[in-house]
Amino acid sequence: MIDPVLSFEDASLSLNGNAGPVEILRKISLDVARGETVGLVGPSGSGKSSLLMLMGGLEQVTDGRVSALGHDLTAMNEDALARFRREHMGVVFQSFHLIATMTALENVATPLELAGARDAFERARGELDAVGLAHRAGHYPGQLSGGEQQRVALARACATRPDILLADEPTGNLDEANGVAIMDLLFGLRDRHGSTLVLVTHAPDLAARCDRVIHLRDGQVVETAEHKALA
Amino acid sequence: MSLRIAARLARRELRGGLRGFGIFLACLALGVAAIAAVGSVRSGIEAGLAREGAALLGGDAEMRFTYRFASDEERAWMHSSAERVSEIIDFRSMAVVERGEQAEHGLTQVKAVDAAWPLIGAAKLAPDMTMPVALAGRDGLPGAVMQRVLIDRLGLSVGDSFRLGTQAFVLMAALMHEPDGAADGFGLGPRTIVAAEALEDSGLLAPGSVFSTKYRLDLPAGTDIAALAKAANGRFRDTGLRWTDARNGAPGVAVFVERLGAFLVLVGLSGLVVGGVGVSAAVRAYLAEKTTVIATLRTLGADRATIFQTYFLQIGALSVLGITIGLALGGLVPVLLGPVISARLPVPAEFALYPEPLLEAALYGLLTALVFTLWPLARTEHVRAATLFRDALSSAPLLPSLRYLLAIAASLAALVVLAAWFSGAARLTLWTSAGLIATLGMLSLAALLVRTLARWGGAVSRGHPALRWALAAIAARRDGAGSVMLSMGLGLSVLAAIGQIDGNLRNAISGDLPDVAPSYFFVDIQKDQMPGFSARLAGDPGVNRVDSAPMLRGIITRINDKPAREVAGEHWVLSGDRGITYAADLPERTHVTNGEWWPAGYDGPPLISFAAQEAAELGLKLGDRISVNILGRDITATIASFREVDFSTAGIGFVLTMNPGALAGAPHSFIATVYATPEAEAAILRDLAREFPNITAIRVRDAIDRVSDMLAGLANAVSWAAAASLLTGFLVLIGAAAAGEGERTYEAAVLKTLGATRRRILASFALRAGLMGGAAGLVALAVGIAGGWAVNTYVFETRFEVIWPSAIGIVTGGILATLLAGMGFAWRPLATRPAQVLRSRE
Repeated sequence: MIDPVLSFEDASLSLNGNAGPVEILRKISLDVARGETVGLVGPSGSGKSSLLMLMGGLEQVTDGRVSALGHDLTAMNEDALARFRREHMGVVFQSFHLIATMTALENVATPLELAGARDAFERARGELDAVGLAHRAGHYPGQLSGGEQQRVALARACATRPDILLADEPTGNLDEANGVAIMDLLFGLRDRHGSTLVLVTHAPDLAARCDRVIHLRDGQVVETAEHKALA
Repeated sequence: MSLRIAARLARRELRGGLRGFGIFLACLALGVAAIAAVGSVRSGIEAGLAREGAALLGGDAEMRFTYRFASDEERAWMHSSAERVSEIIDFRSMAVVERGEQAEHGLTQVKAVDAAWPLIGAAKLAPDMTMPVALAGRDGLPGAVMQRVLIDRLGLSVGDSFRLGTQAFVLMAALMHEPDGAADGFGLGPRTIVAAEALEDSGLLAPGSVFSTKYRLDLPAGTDIAALAKAANGRFRDTGLRWTDARNGAPGVAVFVERLGAFLVLVGLSGLVVGGVGVSAAVRAYLAEKTTVIATLRTLGADRATIFQTYFLQIGALSVLGITIGLALGGLVPVLLGPVISARLPVPAEFALYPEPLLEAALYGLLTALVFTLWPLARTEHVRAATLFRDALSSAPLLPSLRYLLAIAASLAALVVLAAWFSGAARLTLWTSAGLIATLGMLSLAALLVRTLARWGGAVSRGHPALRWALAAIAARRDGAGSVMLSMGLGLSVLAAIGQIDGNLRNAISGDLPDVAPSYFFVDIQKDQMPGFSARLAGDPGVNRVDSAPMLRGIITRINDKPAREVAGEHWVLSGDRGITYAADLPERTHVTNGEWWPAGYDGPPLISFAAQEAAELGLKLGDRISVNILGRDITATIASFREVDFSTAGIGFVLTMNPGALAGAPHSFIATVYATPEAEAAILRDLAREFPNITAIRVRDAIDRVSDMLAGLANAVSWAAAASLLTGFLVLIGAAAAGEGERTYEAAVLKTLGATRRRILASFALRAGLMGGAAGLVALAVGIAGGWAVNTYVFETRFEVIWPSAIGIVTGGILATLLAGMGFAWRPLATRPAQVLRSRE
């Protein structure tokens, strides 16, 4: 593969549980190309979310190497990873993780402020407009529905125009109608910004919209299926 | 850049309101308020003393002499410097009321005044009359006024007569206010004021009698008092002059207020430390709640510095709010309650908002907040973005990084240095701080021990579910055990230590002392009265022992020809005039520790035998030359020996004993101690008072009662300050109980689902609270006993034994307080339906 934006070389992850170390991921090697959409699927506990965390530098491998955009994530400390994320990545969570004390607009503006953008609020307003929530800019998360909260989270993840978009079961907490709407938005934003998208999902129809689907079981990649030819 | 963003994020986070910060604010506000209030009252009294300096002193300046009147030269100097001069004679005597064969005797502090007294202010008498009218008397008898307490004790009414020595007086009025009373210091007897000229035939002021004279000066306006003081001290340095002036009119009171205030502030500081435990727990709980937000911010690219600054600014803003509330309370309460407090104070006070005590309290508050919040705040560094997916904080290291540990240590050091500086008592502050830190360490260890024991106890409590659940809860919840132990433990430790120190001091004074102390101290016995005095006692079977010694009073002015205070610093032996005796032979029960007692018939240059312990404290050695001013004349003697003197038995004990040749020529009287059975005491007093009316008898038990009353007052003041610590501790307990309510509600729901009755669950809640409270009480007791033993043994040098009523009270108090806080938050867990709780968790 030419110019991979994400690259795993024999990456393993084990965590200390109450009964001793637990192997979460075992010797994963894979590449994700620029602009590609990848779906991570598999049963609960197969390591999908952990793999996504390694991609975002939210977790560090215990063995092997992970690089993103040519940078070795395994060599970075927590602060360097945080800076890398604010410059290159956007993350969407199943449970939204909006900050309750901030309005929708402030939530979206936060990554821009952290990145030092002078026009953070103007750009945040534009992002909210893009997800159809400009009229709810002054509302707090507690005043928004689940679907609206996830749209704010999407706007926040895309605010810095990230090279890589990571989504962990973004429709998991939503009803079907809202789920479809969010996925349309997610893919639409990806198309508009040209980001690479990796998402964890249990939904087969959602996985089917991805260029490639990676199946995981017991912390290992067991199958890779390509749905579309890469551009 | 990072700080600006952090400030913005902090401001947004503060929109969440003060929910969860009630205990945080209360702990900080209460601790700061207690310190600010104590400091403000102290400043108010100091301002009052400064404002009323001249009135308290009864003049712009005072020249005081012991045992003698001013010489002609001294009088001439006073009259050339002052516009008016007033002479006062101050001494102890017996007021005697005769009713047929019966006689009432009352020890009194007599003030004999001239027509000019008081130079400043006015005495208040009941019935209302002027001093000249009161002192003129009636029916041929000179008049006197007396404090109400003595009038009542002697059963007198206005118009009745009584005796001082051989002179009869008529009681003209009760003395309601003595304008210069505070400057006279601590007296064993209530005040009687008479005209000095009326004492001429009383036989009370014979050569060698114990009295002092005070000359109050009314100086011309614009006099440079400092320069005048210097001139007086320079000119009359060797005459035994003691100078006081309006710049510090009641130095004894001022020093007492300053020291007591400093000590109470330190007790208040311990309350603030207890509050710090609550502050720390509140910040930990708050940050635990904010873990997801922090992890989200980390996901969005916030670095560790931004996160730390965000929460540091937030907690800083809340700390400032808590401190401001505390300052407002502590500053305003003394002002609002000023009239009430003033009415109860024996000295003038001027209550207002004083910046210095408020600044002191604010600094303590800020530094305490810093010490106790930095640790939990530093832990935000370990919140990783991965926490959003799994609990990553549990694997975070327990200790924050080195820079935070150094910052905590620096803040702690700054707190101790500031406290030492503000209190002016560095040693006391260091000991108190060391005690507090050691206690906190011990309580933390005790919390760990309790959790370990609870874990072990779980295995042996099988079959007793309520106890097993209680032990399991104690073992599992580190923060719960820590908070309860630290908050209750520290407050109770302070109270326990006060209880043990106070109890042992009282035991020493009113328990042990009467067993070894004499029944009476007799002073002012003239040399020619000694044979008659001894004869009366020799034939009395109720008398076990009589000791007597000649007594003079003098001031140690120089050591090895240099000013004594320059050589040996501030020491009680140098702070005023001391009793001095002479003896040819080594007295009975006296042990020379170093050097030689002078040989029989010695008539060479003056020699001194000095009390060994006091000599060591002053840094004296054999051969040193001591100059003592007696009756205005310096006598310089060489130290020939050191001897043990036991002052703890209230018997005769002199720091200085000289060879007879050095002192025998000086006019002096004798003192005697009489050890008698209680049944014989009344007859001894009656006979001796009748035969020798000039002799003053001091009943030791009365003196002990007086000192006990004073100690009770001090212990009371300290207990109030300690109560603030305990109240803060109780607030922390409530905070801990409230924080654990959700967990207990879930636990109760699960237990109910499994078939547990509410009664059994309640029993389990009560057991865990009681066990924790009992453990906190026991540790506090151990700390209190250790502290009490150290203070009683090394500071007061008294025997120590555990005061059990106080000890049991402390443990019971600990159990009751934790039970109260725990049970206060048991209702919701017991009342909530299980389905409600379990569904919300899914």
